[in-house]
Amino acid sequence: MKSAKTIRFASMLLWGIFSLFLVSTNALAQTAKVSGTITNQRTSAPVPGATINVKNSTRYTVSDDSGKFSIEAAASDVLVITSIGYSPEEVNVGAGNLTVHLNESNNQMEDVVVIGYGVQKKKLVTGANLQVKGEDLQKQSTTNALQALQGQAPGVQITSSSGQPGDGFNVIIRGKGTIGNSGPLFVVDGVQGVNINSINPADIESIDVLKDAASAAIYGSQAANGVILVTTKTGKYTQKTQVSLDAFYGIQNSPKKAQLLNAKEYAIIMNEQAINSGKSPYFTNEEIDKLPVSTDWLDQMFVKNVPTQNYVLNVNGGNAGSMFSTSMGYTSQGGIVGGSDLSDYQRYTVKLNSEHKLYQDIVKLGQHLTVNNVNSHGIATGGQYSNSLRSAFSTTPFLPMYDSSGDFFRSDNLPWNPGKVGDPQWDNSVSNPYASMAYNSNSRNNTQNLFGDAYLLIEPIKGLKLRSSIGVNYWSNQGRSFRPVYHLSIFDKNDTSTVNQSMGSGRTFQFDNTLSYDFRVAKDHSFSVMAGTTAINTKGSGLSGSNWDLRVADLQHAYLDVAQNRAAESDHLSASGGPFEDALLSYFGRLQYNFQEKYLLNATFRADGSSKFAPDQRWGYFPSISAGWVASRERILQDITWLNFFKLRGSWGRVGNQSVPAYQFLAPISFSQASYIFGNTEGLNTPGAYPSRLANPKVKWETSEQTNIGFDATLIKRLNISFDYYIKKTKDWLITAPILATAGADAPLINGGDVQNKGFELALNYHNTIGKDLNYSIGANGSYNKNKIGNIPTNDHIIHGNTNVLFANSLEFYRAANGLPVGYFWGLKTAGIFQTVEEVNSYLSKTGKVIQPDAKPGDLRYMDLNGDGIIDNSDRTMIGNPNPDFIFGFNVSLDYKGFDFAVQASGVAGNELVKSWRGPGGRGNYTTEILDRWTGAGTSNKIPRVTEDGANWAQFSDLYIYNGSFLRINTITLGYDFSRLVKKNYLSRVRLYASVLNAFTFSKYFGMDPEVGHNEGFSTGVDVGYYPRPVTMLLGANIRF
Amino acid sequence: MKILKIYIPVIALLSLAACKKSFLDTEDVTSATEQNFYKTQSDAYKALVGVYDGLQRTGSSGSGLAVVATEVMSDNAFGATGNADGFGFQMIDEFDKLRSPSDVDMFGDNWTVYYKAIYRANMLLSHLDNVDWKGNDNLRKAYEAETRFIRAYCYFDMVRVWGNIPLVTKPTTENLPQVNPDEVYKLIATDLKFAAANLPATGYAAQVPANFGRVTKWAAEALIGRVFLYYTGYYGKPDLVGVVSKTEALAGLEDVINNGGFGLVDEFAKLWPAASLNNYIGENNKETVFSIRYTYTSDWNGNVDGNHWMVMMGIRVQAIYPYGLGWGGATVNPKLWNAYNANDTRRNASIISIDGESLDFKNKKDQREYTGYYTKKYTPMADAAGVSLAEKMGGVSFMIGQFQDFVSIRYADVLLMAAELGSPNAQTYFDNVRKRAFGTNFVQIPVNQANIMNERRFEFAGEGIRYWDLLRQGITVAASTIAETTTVENGGVSTVKTISASKITETKGLSQIPYSQITLSNGTLKQNAGW
Repeated sequence: MKSAKTIRFASMLLWGIFSLFLVSTNALAQTAKVSGTITNQRTSAPVPGATINVKNSTRYTVSDDSGKFSIEAAASDVLVITSIGYSPEEVNVGAGNLTVHLNESNNQMEDVVVIGYGVQKKKLVTGANLQVKGEDLQKQSTTNALQALQGQAPGVQITSSSGQPGDGFNVIIRGKGTIGNSGPLFVVDGVQGVNINSINPADIESIDVLKDAASAAIYGSQAANGVILVTTKTGKYTQKTQVSLDAFYGIQNSPKKAQLLNAKEYAIIMNEQAINSGKSPYFTNEEIDKLPVSTDWLDQMFVKNVPTQNYVLNVNGGNAGSMFSTSMGYTSQGGIVGGSDLSDYQRYTVKLNSEHKLYQDIVKLGQHLTVNNVNSHGIATGGQYSNSLRSAFSTTPFLPMYDSSGDFFRSDNLPWNPGKVGDPQWDNSVSNPYASMAYNSNSRNNTQNLFGDAYLLIEPIKGLKLRSSIGVNYWSNQGRSFRPVYHLSIFDKNDTSTVNQSMGSGRTFQFDNTLSYDFRVAKDHSFSVMAGTTAINTKGSGLSGSNWDLRVADLQHAYLDVAQNRAAESDHLSASGGPFEDALLSYFGRLQYNFQEKYLLNATFRADGSSKFAPDQRWGYFPSISAGWVASRERILQDITWLNFFKLRGSWGRVGNQSVPAYQFLAPISFSQASYIFGNTEGLNTPGAYPSRLANPKVKWETSEQTNIGFDATLIKRLNISFDYYIKKTKDWLITAPILATAGADAPLINGGDVQNKGFELALNYHNTIGKDLNYSIGANGSYNKNKIGNIPTNDHIIHGNTNVLFANSLEFYRAANGLPVGYFWGLKTAGIFQTVEEVNSYLSKTGKVIQPDAKPGDLRYMDLNGDGIIDNSDRTMIGNPNPDFIFGFNVSLDYKGFDFAVQASGVAGNELVKSWRGPGGRGNYTTEILDRWTGAGTSNKIPRVTEDGANWAQFSDLYIYNGSFLRINTITLGYDFSRLVKKNYLSRVRLYASVLNAFTFSKYFGMDPEVGHNEGFSTGVDVGYYPRPVTMLLGANIRF
Repeated sequence: MKILKIYIPVIALLSLAACKKSFLDTEDVTSATEQNFYKTQSDAYKALVGVYDGLQRTGSSGSGLAVVATEVMSDNAFGATGNADGFGFQMIDEFDKLRSPSDVDMFGDNWTVYYKAIYRANMLLSHLDNVDWKGNDNLRKAYEAETRFIRAYCYFDMVRVWGNIPLVTKPTTENLPQVNPDEVYKLIATDLKFAAANLPATGYAAQVPANFGRVTKWAAEALIGRVFLYYTGYYGKPDLVGVVSKTEALAGLEDVINNGGFGLVDEFAKLWPAASLNNYIGENNKETVFSIRYTYTSDWNGNVDGNHWMVMMGIRVQAIYPYGLGWGGATVNPKLWNAYNANDTRRNASIISIDGESLDFKNKKDQREYTGYYTKKYTPMADAAGVSLAEKMGGVSFMIGQFQDFVSIRYADVLLMAAELGSPNAQTYFDNVRKRAFGTNFVQIPVNQANIMNERRFEFAGEGIRYWDLLRQGITVAASTIAETTTVENGGVSTVKTISASKITETKGLSQIPYSQITLSNGTLKQNAGW
């Protein structure tokens, strides 16, 4: 039924297109040869490669190296001259022999920006959106577009989830609006949900971020966390074919390394711990002086000079009837922890974009297509139990890396604390962290993505456009991993080799249709109306299996078929597989109006239906309205010479969020993980079933409402200012709120809870010229955001954070609660350290009770906030906020006679981090921070005494909290364009450059990288062994033919 | 005309998207829903297995309530655990909230997993009428009996631990207050009576081995005896909330003894893998009246089939053949070791003596409340090379892959309960248990309440029974028996340990209600006294 309809539709469409060919073309007017010269208005230099097009015809030519051109045109014709980096000019042919001066397009207001389902002149935009040009991204020489965007987009906080290549990014636009999925919607060339990490930054023409609800509302239910639109490079009609090669090669090293105790310092601390715990010291001074081993485990984990490289060959071109852009790219980046053997990312991309005029300017057919293949493998960069780096911080420096035969040192079969003079002392539970990482990081993952669309654009009468497109996003992945037999310690061992293999694939089909009409009424009233529909269906399945005992136990042979499955008792082959599907159907419309480009109005409406909700809750409605006033066009302001442009904007809109697991409206019966053993055979389970979750048939959209006021201004022609103030309120959160245990099953998602983000954003950009040749520009942007939860709909108004995060059996330490920011750190406040027994005994409650009777001098003094004389949970409060108050970025760039220099920086301020690299107590190593511990009255009021039970670290207190503010110099680049020296006319650009990425970081944080992007539940900034970003030095080239 | 031709596809495009009602209907084909499940006999069986799985999961997380925590609460064992661990187990051991004020949810997971088990049972019970039984009424009754037994079993655990709990008999999300314990006992008694009346009287020898682990009539009758003794003892009542009289309780036990086909295994040590090694009698032995079954297939992805609490009681992070390593919780109180008669074979079968067995234990520095004794009945095991038996068998980890069943009701318990309830054969039952323990050194002592209680202490040490036996003799007896001041070694350093009687009387021996549940209930749930 469905397919029959599709076929009927397709044949109708084809017939429709075909019929258009039957219409004949117009006759040509009388023409003659016209010639002229194109020059730069400012420098009077000739402009080569500019396109000269006779308006309303297909005739075009390109200016030569001296800016000269000639073309067939009638005296009444108009020539349209365009060139990259210049504002377009239109000139009347008239008598011919023209000299055209092009203005460099440094006025951003003339640019066109991408909005949902269309483009708009920046000066007419009434919402809060921003555009970052592809070249500004490429200048950052990163392998990933999001990393390049960091610091360039005010109001957009981007942190990488780890420094490992290929790991993802957290993108938060205008503060966290939910404790659920807070990432924005990515739309690449109109295709939704594409993984932006799979795109080579060099293929990107621009990234547009829709921040306020009015801009994003055209994407309705998926836009609550903002929308990021990526446009890949296309060719241009009547453009000379241009070949460009962009390449860089660099080496990466670790940033500042954490300072751990060496063997001697460690032995001293261990002795002191023992003494403070009522024991005799472990080592004599003589032994301490003769310690044979002092391993710095971080030195073992990090590898030096790990390569990173990126090559993209791009060809753009077009004639009067077709245009195209084709590129091929290769990227590879190794990880600095363990090097390329253990962590590596390789990406191959092919991009094919084209558009063809099927019939004059009336019917165009085009497509976008990107295909890529990513090979990656890596170490574990997650929480405390899945983090390869973490144990390096706490492993004793006594443990050697290798044994006498050159194998990784094993602690499990060694005598226990031999205690002889000079002998190392260790525990049989201590494991070589490097070896453990090497044994447990044997995996290969391979992902293919294919995304793009085919579209038909019909403009039967001027201004009326029908666009129909079929988009596809297909992905498939294959992964396998292998664990060899090894023994490192009594806990860290594997007795039988194991293998895992997994595969999955899925696709999204997206069918978009829009109809738009641009028209004027009475010359001054410009209208643009658009209506459209979208239907999206995502479907796919995954399969994974594991087995053990490989016939050939190495990574190359790590396939299920190589496993012998020789098990003492039973079958070890396990397999699982299942499908996923969801669908979204949408109708939307937009009205844009302006009066003389002075008064602007914009309204959108979208209706979305989602398969994720019950039939009666499916539809959500998302309106928006915005208005602008270009004050600088008012006559009275036109005389102010320093004010070139001023626009005031205001908007309001409502958007939604539906990125939650499907079927929450049903109560599922789970058939997995419900078995029980009957009979006498161990391992032989009888499968069962159980009701796993309660249903919530009322679950519906999460909505976010946002009001935005802002302005854009250009002063003295050189200074651009953009300012926005916003209030974003997200309500009806889709959350799994805790329910009473007596309900007996897992909680379904409910709608409840709200959060308000309030803030402002400011972006400044100034550019000028010194003398004739030195151009410079300075940009600065910053944003302030305040995040506050309104109400959480549970009885205690709290959503509790995870336990077991900071160390084994650690208790809750972050929360979401009324009136406080999302994921705030919840713990005890300290007021220094007890210096003497008298201080302990005189620390009394109002009723005269000793508050910490068990404390000893050197222990933390916890604040008894409720004054009841007991330190317990009611004394815990907000001791840190993981959400920054400010995020900011700076950039400076200069160019002088072919030289260019740029610095780009970004940072955050006003947030706190939690660092926990070891559990309390025990005999793990410490960082050198512990050298400042309390050792007697007056020695420290900050770091408490050390004990074997680590009592001062057992409670989560501000001892764990660090200032998270930092400023990072992301990129420093120096380049020179050698085409000035070579002067070959086929070479338009031969720029070579050198860059340093992540050059300096200014921070008070003791960890290795203050930009801790690892998420713990709905909180962030928790460093349990964070993989730092590398410092990269690279050389690159941009060559254009 | 031209315009019209263009509009045809436009209209087609728009109408295509507009009229697809089914477009938004997707289906999860891998799971069923409440609406389409509970229809066939096969569905009902799967749901019943799910109920057993729910029962098994009550021991999977939290503080190992059935054995670990109850042994710690009793005078058999101390809290112990690692020397750098939190003080939660000391809080349990000493009934003192101030020992670990931050541990407000020490039993939070336990509370949750028990109510999950009850939810599974209630869901099946409330859907039994939806199942097409095809006239097989006995099957329906049997499933209902098994389900109600498990529900009663869970409630009995909970009502003993917390005393005051909400009673859920139908699936509900309501914020229910705690009820009078009598109401809980009424449900337990009626559920168990139903189970005893509706399960077939198949003797041990005639049971199908493949069904080993299923609830039997005998399990129901034995549990009635246990509930009767506890309720009448702790609450000082003459009968079990008017539902079961003493005569009925005894009659049930005698039925188990006369018709159940059970018997005592000849040597006490053979009941316990670590005590008997190759001589272990096996799980489906004639002394197992009811056990919660475990196997090694637990993994970190949510499959919970193993004995997750046993690792708590293993020797602190050191495998010493034949014992595997564990976390060193519930170190055995030397008082218990010393109370055994030297001829009692149960001492060495129940307790690991580090010095007595000349075990080279080197990890005192890591062990809190070291006493020199660990539990032997339930302890992880390893081979001579120190490799965990659970892992050798294929378990993912020794922490979750322990496969030793929890034998909840042994035939010896049935004999001693019958003796305690005044069976005419009391002396014989009592002697039989003691004869097995003492072998050729057996000397008869008279059967009486004091001797039975004493014998139960030795017979069931480490099985999670002692604490309830103490409580049912009254709070005063329990408090004075458990209270003590002694010396233990914390990380190798001699430390004074005090358990005060006042804390036990203050709390009435009940445990802390999880604070997170109290706050979630907005105060509808009330905390127990002393917590």
